[in-house]
Amino acid sequence: MTLRRIATVEDLHSYLHIAMQLEHATIPPYLTALYSMHPTTNADAYRVIRVVAVEEMLHLTLAANLLNAVGGDTALAAEGFVPTYPAHLPDGETDFEVGTRAFSKETIATFLQIERPAVAEGEGRFVARDRSSRALLPAVDAHEDDLHFYSIGEFYAEIGDGIRRLHDEMGDALFCGDPARQVGPEYYYSGGGAITKVTDLDSAAEAMRTISEQGEGLGGAIFDEEGELAHYYRFEQLLLGRYYQPGDTGGSPTGPELAIDWDAVYPVKADAQLADYAEPGELRDAVLAYSTAYGEFLACLDQAFSGRPDLLVPAVGDMFHIKELASQIMRNPMPGEPGVNAAPVFRGPAPVEVS
Amino acid sequence: MTGDHDVLEAFLELSATLTGYSRFRLRGTGQAEPYLETTRDASGDGVLADLLATSAEVHATAAGDEGVLDRGLRARILSDDRLGPVARNVIKMWFVGTWYQLPQEWRDAHATRAPDATHVVSPASYTEGLLWPTIGANPPGAKGQGYGTWAAPPRLDLP
Repeated sequence: MTLRRIATVEDLHSYLHIAMQLEHATIPPYLTALYSMHPTTNADAYRVIRVVAVEEMLHLTLAANLLNAVGGDTALAAEGFVPTYPAHLPDGETDFEVGTRAFSKETIATFLQIERPAVAEGEGRFVARDRSSRALLPAVDAHEDDLHFYSIGEFYAEIGDGIRRLHDEMGDALFCGDPARQVGPEYYYSGGGAITKVTDLDSAAEAMRTISEQGEGLGGAIFDEEGELAHYYRFEQLLLGRYYQPGDTGGSPTGPELAIDWDAVYPVKADAQLADYAEPGELRDAVLAYSTAYGEFLACLDQAFSGRPDLLVPAVGDMFHIKELASQIMRNPMPGEPGVNAAPVFRGPAPVEVS
Repeated sequence: MTGDHDVLEAFLELSATLTGYSRFRLRGTGQAEPYLETTRDASGDGVLADLLATSAEVHATAAGDEGVLDRGLRARILSDDRLGPVARNVIKMWFVGTWYQLPQEWRDAHATRAPDATHVVSPASYTEGLLWPTIGANPPGAKGQGYGTWAAPPRLDLP
């Protein structure tokens, strides 16, 4: 995938739509790892992953507010919004793939890649690499061919720069979106931080700050202004077996030990596809029901981001229902594959074809 | 029945018939393994092996005939002094997540084991009890979470 520097409002819409896709793309991998743990085990690891997944949901909503604020369309139902795993992240990072896999050290290592801190500044935030056959989006424009972002943090830094550049040119006309499409705290509670309605440059900067600091700790700090640990370091705790505490530096946590039972996990099928469930029966029915429920949920989110934020309240119940369905599937064996458990398939709102 | 896998399969076959819930739904609770272990610990290897072997014979004889299966279970398991109380305990465990101490008569005749005391198998076994989907409700405070969800009818997948 190639992207050019943000020069027009249309470019900004593309970036923000990719941002939504990016935030969403992390959620199925995180939820798969989370739900693959045996019930009532691994309480520490469960909490660490759950907090990050919930914050990604907040980031998805903040990205929707940003896109709506500048007159874009969230279009969660667009073809390809939900990746087919394994996939590269939609911001153009092509040196690793993300998938829907069981909780394991390897899976956490991938999560660290997803949340890796930004290292490059200025022009260096792009790295030249071959275009990937697994890239999730078509090229936005080929002005600066074969340039990719090194990390999510750098991708967002470009969006922040783009918003400022366009605001310098256009003034407040940039924020031409319908305020009724903004999701505010009355519809979004306790979801890993504060939701910000975006209506001007300051609120846009506030939304961007929440996304960047919670995620990857742009700027090198492991804790953000609120004293919250960035996602990269949250996950790193799982591999290092110890919690970070204030005053620590990256790589050397000195907090309490964190106990993990890497074996108390259902060995779920990696990157499961609908085609893996050809055999008629209850498992196949359940997997299809899951994909349908997930698609309907995304369609509901799309409506919520298009002027019906009140729909987010019942959507919370839908999320717990989706978790129940996923857990049931994962606790069942994969037919014909000894030692492998079934796994749910995450699909977009398009009808699930029954072949 | 030699391997753990075969024992679990036999336990699931018996449990599905005793509870009326499919194997998929039973496994979906995540409780099949702990319930099998609880039954083994409380009643002993010999009783468990006889229970599962008798169940396998009854199922084989019935060959899918519900009436034959029902009569076979009643005659050979539920009416049996040694196997019946254990089978009834397995049913109760699936529905409420609790192992109830076997009747004193059974304990006097067969064994007295420490793990036979009445206990909740695990925190998850309570929330995963088949009682909840059977009555069309969520376990209070444990499922159907989310602010305001109590204002809407429970979202459940009925059996």
